[in-house]
Amino acid sequence: MSRYDSALTVFSPDGHLFQVEYAQEAVKKGSTAVAVRGQDAVVLAVEKRALAKLQDARTVRKICSLDDHVCLAFAGLTADARVLVNKARVECQSHQLTVEDPVNVEYITRYIASVCQRYTQRSGARPFGVSFLIVGFDRGEVPRLYQTEPAGTYHEWKANATGRNAKTVREYLEKHYSSETTKSRDDVILLAIRALLEVVQSGTKTMELAVMEKGRPIQFLEPEEIGKYVQQIELAKEEEAKRKKSKKETA
Amino acid sequence: FYEIKMATVMDHFGLHSFPTAVPCSEVYSEEVSTGTSIMAVEYADGVIIGADSRTSSGAFVVNRVTDKLTKVTDHIYCCRSGSAADTQNIADLIKFYLSLRSVETGEPPLVKIAANLFSRRCYKKRESAIAGIICAGWDKKEGGQVFSIPLGGMCLRQPFAIGGSGSTYVYGYCDAHYRAGMSKEECIEFVKNVLSLAMSRDGSSGGVIRIASIEEGGVERFLFTGDEIPKFYQD
Repeated sequence: MSRYDSALTVFSPDGHLFQVEYAQEAVKKGSTAVAVRGQDAVVLAVEKRALAKLQDARTVRKICSLDDHVCLAFAGLTADARVLVNKARVECQSHQLTVEDPVNVEYITRYIASVCQRYTQRSGARPFGVSFLIVGFDRGEVPRLYQTEPAGTYHEWKANATGRNAKTVREYLEKHYSSETTKSRDDVILLAIRALLEVVQSGTKTMELAVMEKGRPIQFLEPEEIGKYVQQIELAKEEEAKRKKSKKETA
Repeated sequence: FYEIKMATVMDHFGLHSFPTAVPCSEVYSEEVSTGTSIMAVEYADGVIIGADSRTSSGAFVVNRVTDKLTKVTDHIYCCRSGSAADTQNIADLIKFYLSLRSVETGEPPLVKIAANLFSRRCYKKRESAIAGIICAGWDKKEGGQVFSIPLGGMCLRQPFAIGGSGSTYVYGYCDAHYRAGMSKEECIEFVKNVLSLAMSRDGSSGGVIRIASIEEGGVERFLFTGDEIPKFYQD
């Protein structure tokens, strides 16, 4: 097996590209990122890792904007993500220069995925160890969410997570995502936070949140605002627990 | 129409070129240019920019309602004079750079950055491009600023700037009538008068007067046509 995983251009006898699969492992080690697509808003929430005392929290940005109407969050190797984000930003402008129209979310996702795929077929270079959750609005009207993977594939999602414990978060989203729970901006934010809280400690310092609404630029929520939503969720959880307890007692 | 072209012939003795008259089948006998009168003035809260609206190709007026005030960012515009194609191309490119920069920094770009990008591009292409640009706008750091980027690609900040073929006729009027510290309305009157004088003497300038004000709150556009254009001595 090990003979087939150093040079990239080589398939293993049973059809695996091991470097690509190892890149997926790198993604699984990254901090969790969640994305939820609602009717009028899309939300990105990422886990904030505990920082060293002297480190400036503002320099650890896991949510980046690509253009006025598209942004993304990632899990995996930060440096790899930075390179791809820079390429994507230039491509967004290049598209607008040539065709005088801002990119569609699918177009820029396809571009990033194509770059990732190129590096799975090149000798002397390794794949990018990043998985992106790309959100935005097409023509300022239609909300979109896509996920890319190191293999160079991409898919559209209604809600998804990537990074550590992504499976747990995704299962929560599968259970709780519906058109009812994603109607308003607040609904979508609450769902994203609740999903992330499944795997992240409750608090305002443990997560970073960004919202994008129709026709408005990306908004990063301040820790106080996140705190308010977290409080709301905790209260709801307490009430739910009380109700269950009283039901048990009466029954 | 006939125009003179160089014909090249290879004969027994080698390659020869000689001038020859060739009929002009195309409509345009000269490059499409924004002959133009453009100007920009700084005031306390921002800048006023103005331009005529004539795009000519020789004696033919290709567009008599041109918009020569081109947006490069929400708060930075450029006034274009010279070759229409060259200036449109350069403005598109600078729009690209400024848009990329604002995504990367998360803030709107400074006017002097836009001006210097124009300057670098114009200097790089100085042999082939014919572009006289006035870059003006508002930013949080310095407020309203006007930068003049004439033919060779130099960049100079000025309290007010005039450009284009029509500007040559109004240097005297501008020097006599400009005052520092004019209000927004006074600046608009100043620009209207200067452009009207330039348009009446320069054959490559004419049409309507387009004016825009750029302040912190955004851009407001004005249009002056026909009787709204000030009249001076007419013989």
